[in-house]
Amino acid sequence: MAASKVAIRYASSFLDTAIEKNLLDKVSEDFELIYNTLNASSELRRAIKSPIIKNEIKQSIFATIFKDKINVETFTYLDFIISKGRENILLEILEKFFYLRDEYLGLATVQVTTAFDLTAEQKVQLQEKFTSYLNEKVKLSFLIDQKLIGGFVAKVGDTVYNASVIHQLGLLKKEFLHGSVRLN
Amino acid sequence: MAEVRPDEISEILRKQLSGFESEADIYDVGTVLQVGDGIARVYGLSKVMASELVEFPNDVFGMVLNLEEDSVGCVLFGDTTLVKEGDTVKRTKRVTSMPVGDAMLGRVITPLGVPIDGKGPITTSEFLPIERKALGVIQRQPVKEPIQTGIVAVDAMIPIGRGQRELIIGDRQTGKTAVGIDAIISQKYTHTEEAKTLGIKPVYCIYVAIGQKESTVAQVVAKLRENGAMDYTTIISAAASEPAPLQFIAPYSGATLGEFFRDNGKHALCIYDDLSKHAQSYRELSLLLRRPPGREAYPGDVFYLHSRLLERASKLNDDLGGGSLTALPIIETQQGDVSAYIPTNVISITDGQIYLESNLFNAGVRPAINVGISVSRVGGNAQIKAMKKVAGSLKLDLAQYRELEAFAKFGSDLDKSTQRTIAKGARLVELLKQGQYAPVPVERQVVSIYFGTKGFMDEISIHDIKRFEKEVLEFIEVKYNQIFESIKKDKDISKETEELLKKAGQEFLSIFKKNV
Repeated sequence: MAASKVAIRYASSFLDTAIEKNLLDKVSEDFELIYNTLNASSELRRAIKSPIIKNEIKQSIFATIFKDKINVETFTYLDFIISKGRENILLEILEKFFYLRDEYLGLATVQVTTAFDLTAEQKVQLQEKFTSYLNEKVKLSFLIDQKLIGGFVAKVGDTVYNASVIHQLGLLKKEFLHGSVRLN
Repeated sequence: MAEVRPDEISEILRKQLSGFESEADIYDVGTVLQVGDGIARVYGLSKVMASELVEFPNDVFGMVLNLEEDSVGCVLFGDTTLVKEGDTVKRTKRVTSMPVGDAMLGRVITPLGVPIDGKGPITTSEFLPIERKALGVIQRQPVKEPIQTGIVAVDAMIPIGRGQRELIIGDRQTGKTAVGIDAIISQKYTHTEEAKTLGIKPVYCIYVAIGQKESTVAQVVAKLRENGAMDYTTIISAAASEPAPLQFIAPYSGATLGEFFRDNGKHALCIYDDLSKHAQSYRELSLLLRRPPGREAYPGDVFYLHSRLLERASKLNDDLGGGSLTALPIIETQQGDVSAYIPTNVISITDGQIYLESNLFNAGVRPAINVGISVSRVGGNAQIKAMKKVAGSLKLDLAQYRELEAFAKFGSDLDKSTQRTIAKGARLVELLKQGQYAPVPVERQVVSIYFGTKGFMDEISIHDIKRFEKEVLEFIEVKYNQIFESIKKDKDISKETEELLKKAGQEFLSIFKKNV
C-alpha cells in the first residue's frame, strides 16, 4: 500500500513538469511505449525488479533499449527513477501517470466488455452514447468475454454499467429464489 | 387428469417477476486485495461510506469499517472461505441496517434481522440503520416510571426506571442472566388488560445474546416460551460460533429494535448479555484491522464502543410520545475484580449497578445480590409511593445488620438491642431470597416488606420466614384482597390500608403461631 503512495508522488511530479514544459503528448506517448514494452517482456520486468543487478547496469539497459526511441526528458525521468532506487514500482508509477493524465485532460476511460466483437459502427455509437451520458471525453477499450452471452458491461472507474445477459439471468435467479422463500 | 395451461404458467411467472426490470444495472465495485480472519481489504469502492453494507460473491455480506487512502477495510458477516482474492465487491449504497417492526416479537433473529427459529420469513416494512446517534438533551425527560423486575431486592432497594441503564455485574455462575430473564418474565403483567386499566404501559423486551453457547440461547428461548414471555420478546443471537463482526453489531441491532418501539411511543427493555464478550469480539476485529492496541490490547475506542451503545437508552419527552428504552447490560467479572478495564468503563457509563457475588450465591442467598454495594442512581423516582415508604426502613435495617453481622457469632453475649437488630436483619435477608422464574408483583412485594420491617416476623424462626411470607400473602389474597387492590390502584399505602394491613398481620400471626 505504501508503494502506491510513492507511485502517485512520482507520477504527479512527472505530470506537472511535463505540463510545464508543454511536453505532455510526447511524454505520455513515450511512457505508453515503455509501459507496453515492460508488459510484453517478463524478462525485462524481472531484470529491473532484481535487487542484485546494479543501478548502473539497469540504466545502461534502458539506455540501449529506449535511448533512440524516446525524448530526452522522458529518459531523464527514467534515469531519475532508477537513481532513486524506485525502479521496482516503475509499472505502478506509469499506471498512476496515465490515470492522472486522463483526469487532467478530462478523459474517462471506459472498459467495454462484450460477448462478441463489435462493428466499427457500433463502437462509434457506444462512444457517442458514453460521451453524452458522462459529459466527458471518452476513451474506449474493448475486451471480449463470451461468458456474457450477450449485451455488454462497461466499467468507468469504480462504476459498472452492466447490461449483459448473464447478469440479467443472475438477477432473474435471485428473484425466483426470493419468490420461493416468500411462498414458504 | 389435471392440466396446466401454458398461459396460466406465464401469468404466474409475470406475477412472480413483477419487480424485475431488464434495464442496465449500475453499481460501484471494488476488488478484494486480501482476505482472511473475517477481514477483507478492498481496492476501489471509491465512493463507499463508513459502515456501509457491501456485497461479496456467494451472498456474503460485509461492513466497511476502515476507510484508508487507497483501500477499504471490511469485516465479513459470513464465511470467509467463500471470498477469494480478486473477487468483485459491490456497494449496496445502504448503511448496515436491519428490518424492524412488531413482527419481530416472538422471534429469534440474527443481528442482521434474519430469522433463525425456523418459523419462516418476517414481514416488516421498515429498515433502520444499526448504528444510530443517541438522542440529545432536548428530546429527553427524566426517568420517572418504574420498570418492575419482579425481584424484591431490586425493586425495593435498587429500583430501575423506564429509560435507565442499570448494569448487572458479577462473576460467572452468579445468576446474572437469571436476573435479566426474570425481568423479562416480569413484564408479562404489563401486557394484561388489568395493567392497561391501571395505566401501566406494556414493555417489549429484547434479549441480545453475544458470544454465548447456542444451547444456552435455546434454553433461554425455551424458558421464556414456557413462561409465556416470548409473545412480547425478540431474541437476537450472535452465538460463539458466529464471526466476530456479527457479535460486534449484535447489541447495536438490539438497540435499533428497541429504538423502534421507543420512537413509536412504546416502552422497551433491552438486555445485552454480555458486554465483556462484546468488547472481546471488538478487540478481535480491531486487531485484525490493524488498529493500534491499547490497554489489555483493547483498541482506544473501546469506551466509546459501550458509551454510544448505552447512551441510546433513553426516556423521550412527551412531545415525542414519551416512549422509553431501558438497557440492562451484563458484565462478567473475573474473580470479583470490578476494577478491570471493561467493568470500570461500563460502571462509569451506566446509572447504577447490581452486584452479584459468588459467596452469597454459595451461601444460599439467591438472587445473590449484594445490596450493600449495589446502587441505582435514578433512585426513588422510579418507585411507586407505597414501595418508597416500606423500602426506606428496609434499607436502613439491612445496613445496620451488615454493620453488626460480624458480631453475630457472639450470640447471647451481645446486648438486647444488638441482638434484635441482628435477628431482624437475618430475617430480612431471608425474606429477600426468591426462586428463579418467579417474579413477584409489586403489591405483594410491598406487603411482605411491610411485615418484615414492621416486626411481624421477629418472633418467627428463620426457617419459617419463606413459609410465613407465602402463607400471609395467600391469606391476604383470600381475606383482605382490598389491600392489594388499593396498593395497585393508588400506588400508595393509605391510612386505611395500613390499618387493614396491621389487622390482617396480627390476625394471621396468631393463626400461624398456633400451627407452628
